[in-house]
Amino acid sequence: MTLAILNIDWQTLADGLALGAIYALMAVGIGLVFGVLRLVNFAYGQLVMAGAFALALASQWGWPVWAGIVLCFAVVLALSVAMEHLVFRPLRGHSPAVMLVATFAVAFLLQSIALLWFGSLGKIATSLASLNRPWTLSGVDIRKITIVAVIVAALCLLLLHLLLERTEVGLHMRAASMDFSTSRMLGVRANRVISFAVLISGALAAVVAVMLTVQTPLVTPDFALRDTIVVLAGVVVGGLNRPIPATLGGFTIGFATGVLGGALPTNQSQYLPTFVFVAVILVLLVRPRGLFDFSRSVERV
Amino acid sequence: MRRLDELVAPVVLVVAAALLGSLASISNQTYFTDTLVKVSIVVALYVFIGNSGVLSFGHISFVALGAWTAGVLTVPPSEKPAIMPNLAEFLLHRHVGNVTSLALAAVVGGIAAFVVGIPLMRLSGLAAGIATFAVLEITYNLLQYEERIGPGLNAFSSVPETTGLRQAAIGAVVCIVVAFVYARSRFGRLLRATREDDAAARAVGASVYRQRLIAFTVSGLLAGLAGGLYVHLLPVNVNSVHLDLTFLTLAMLVVGGSGSLLGAVVGTLAVSAIDSWLAVAENGTSVFGLNLDLPAGTAEIVVGVMMAAVLILRPSGLTGGRELRLRGRIAWRGSASRAPA
Amino acid sequence: MTLTVGNLDVRYGGVHAVRDLSFTVAPGEIVGLIGPNGAGKSSTLHAIMGLAPASGSVRLGDRELLGLRPEDVARSGIALVPEGRRIYAELTVEENLRLGLAGRRSRAAVDLDPVYELFPIVREFRARQAGALSGGQQQQLAIARALVAEPDVLLLDEPSLGLAPSVVDVVFAALEAIKGRGFAVLLVEQRAQRTVAASNRSHVLGGGALQLTLGPGDAGDTEKLVAAYLS
Repeated sequence: MTLAILNIDWQTLADGLALGAIYALMAVGIGLVFGVLRLVNFAYGQLVMAGAFALALASQWGWPVWAGIVLCFAVVLALSVAMEHLVFRPLRGHSPAVMLVATFAVAFLLQSIALLWFGSLGKIATSLASLNRPWTLSGVDIRKITIVAVIVAALCLLLLHLLLERTEVGLHMRAASMDFSTSRMLGVRANRVISFAVLISGALAAVVAVMLTVQTPLVTPDFALRDTIVVLAGVVVGGLNRPIPATLGGFTIGFATGVLGGALPTNQSQYLPTFVFVAVILVLLVRPRGLFDFSRSVERV
Repeated sequence: MRRLDELVAPVVLVVAAALLGSLASISNQTYFTDTLVKVSIVVALYVFIGNSGVLSFGHISFVALGAWTAGVLTVPPSEKPAIMPNLAEFLLHRHVGNVTSLALAAVVGGIAAFVVGIPLMRLSGLAAGIATFAVLEITYNLLQYEERIGPGLNAFSSVPETTGLRQAAIGAVVCIVVAFVYARSRFGRLLRATREDDAAARAVGASVYRQRLIAFTVSGLLAGLAGGLYVHLLPVNVNSVHLDLTFLTLAMLVVGGSGSLLGAVVGTLAVSAIDSWLAVAENGTSVFGLNLDLPAGTAEIVVGVMMAAVLILRPSGLTGGRELRLRGRIAWRGSASRAPA
Repeated sequence: MTLTVGNLDVRYGGVHAVRDLSFTVAPGEIVGLIGPNGAGKSSTLHAIMGLAPASGSVRLGDRELLGLRPEDVARSGIALVPEGRRIYAELTVEENLRLGLAGRRSRAAVDLDPVYELFPIVREFRARQAGALSGGQQQQLAIARALVAEPDVLLLDEPSLGLAPSVVDVVFAALEAIKGRGFAVLLVEQRAQRTVAASNRSHVLGGGALQLTLGPGDAGDTEKLVAAYLS
């Protein structure tokens, strides 16, 4: 069964949705930290990579699935906190460009450490591999992970939305990302808000690590690097400064890459990165605040 | 050109490195040659980032284009079908000499930078960082699959290895001289004025956009030349002119201090020295009678820590953006000490 | 609690913005800080809030505030109504108000009613985006946002700046209403005459130093005011 016009089958569409969902989570993770620190965390993918290695090791040691996931969260959250204290805080107040180069350095550092520890061949995370088996829905085979990914991502986004809209710390985070200095003058504790944003961003990275390892069980030091680059592009295209535009940007780019990557013949789909990044440049030139940011504030990226 | 002494220190350092290299064993000489090529790349980076204060992740694109240009035109025609089976007809039989290939590499780098710069030089700050990064990714993607203009995923084997110590040193000195002349020219001074104070520069009629575009083009020219030198040194492939090289050269510039020509050279030499020494140590070496056998990958970690530490603790770099001047005695002249902003 | 500023100096690089300034604001008082542009009024407020490099002392009761981070100053019982209002235009009016609670020390249940009574307009528009309010309404919201923190000291930085004359009346009426509720109010203003009339004492600053102190009775004395500005 196919959508005849576009030559896209349902399987491809479902994969695109799943990738879009995962990228949306990464986009929110990057966007939350940008909101409170004005820092684009280039090393976000390495958080995912660290979580993926945790899962791989856990499955190598024969740990049960839940223990592997706990380890993954523990490792990613610990690394996030370390990154915040050793890198983000000392960098506060530097120009965005300096911070970008610095997180670029951190990304390479973490990747080199992984290379040293685990070698370039990587490890295999097998414990959740059963999710790769298909469910057959009215004649269409859909891998379980695509459905799980979409549901998990939707749940995470819903929880995040409730947190931002309904809780005090959520309100403080929103205010801090709109006008940090005024929120401090009102008594919003800067460090608490930043730590909170970093932790949520880390938790999202851990969720992403779990879902990406199901799709790509082979974990290498450059795991999630390409994904991060594409998500960064998506976040910029969507609008870096606000959670919803960032999410939309991440989802769109993930969905588009997933669907086009599956539907186009290889001799066209191999040029997908070129189209994506040309789009990034165009958006930066024409709509510096992003396609989906309709707010009236004048701040630019 | 009164301040010729600002040129002297970087050139002396390059010549010293070359002389030191000529004393080293043949196997270690490669490290020195490689370092000198990196000096060219980092000086190219400095011409734009140092003078404009705008970040660029895209310069390795121009290095790559320079490497592709010089490589495609110097692979012996008899061997072209083997490593570049899908090469376009008009490139298949073209062949040029070493110097011509380097000149063409520079020209291609310059033209590419000019064309890319026309839209991109309107951006600054974070937007410039991300847009130039996009340029890097586009170049990488196209060179990877566009087999009509190069080897695609294969390496540029059988390019004549003409970049020895001498050619690398000459190339580095050429880049330093060009960078110096540019920085001292009216254009360079206007651009630095815009870096210090945008409003003031506009008030005296300097077009920030035009000045940045000039710097970007000059810097693309030098990056192209460096790419030519690089492909004549070792069999370059598309991955050797991508993220790793971008990271390493930015680290060199940042560690040395992006605000000065001397900083660019010092940073390159310092990072290269550590990097090469660790690379040797990874293969096992003995220091003061101690056997040292570092695991592979230590060099990258040390360089990463250095770069992050310098950015966090001393964003103006080791030289603090100063130029070393010789005037009777050695004096450090304070210029604006600012990291890429 | 009384706010006591003693021998305050503020320097930005080479600029000596405030010189050896001392004054107090007791509960229930309004103290005005007036003077021409660059006299050091805003720098004084910034120093109190921990936003400017300062020496000397700023005490609330017995507690030294100098050297604290802005959020900790706010949480010690000092609420600021910043210059230009600094309302979060994209949040609702009520969310803006709730942000003021960040500086609240009491753990008791929040009761917004007293503030709503003072500023009915804030209650009426509480579900709207704050950016949709007029300038005067935003100013009322900014004052309300500071009051919900139940502070000891209220700092107002140029509350009438950029407002139409009729709206300025609203702001000063609000001040009148706050008066006598036990807050110590420090009012920084350009509108000297109205400030002098509304305040228990008004300190005239010039070149960062205290030049003259006026009482409410001096509000009608135009000559004295002009002389103070020119001194």
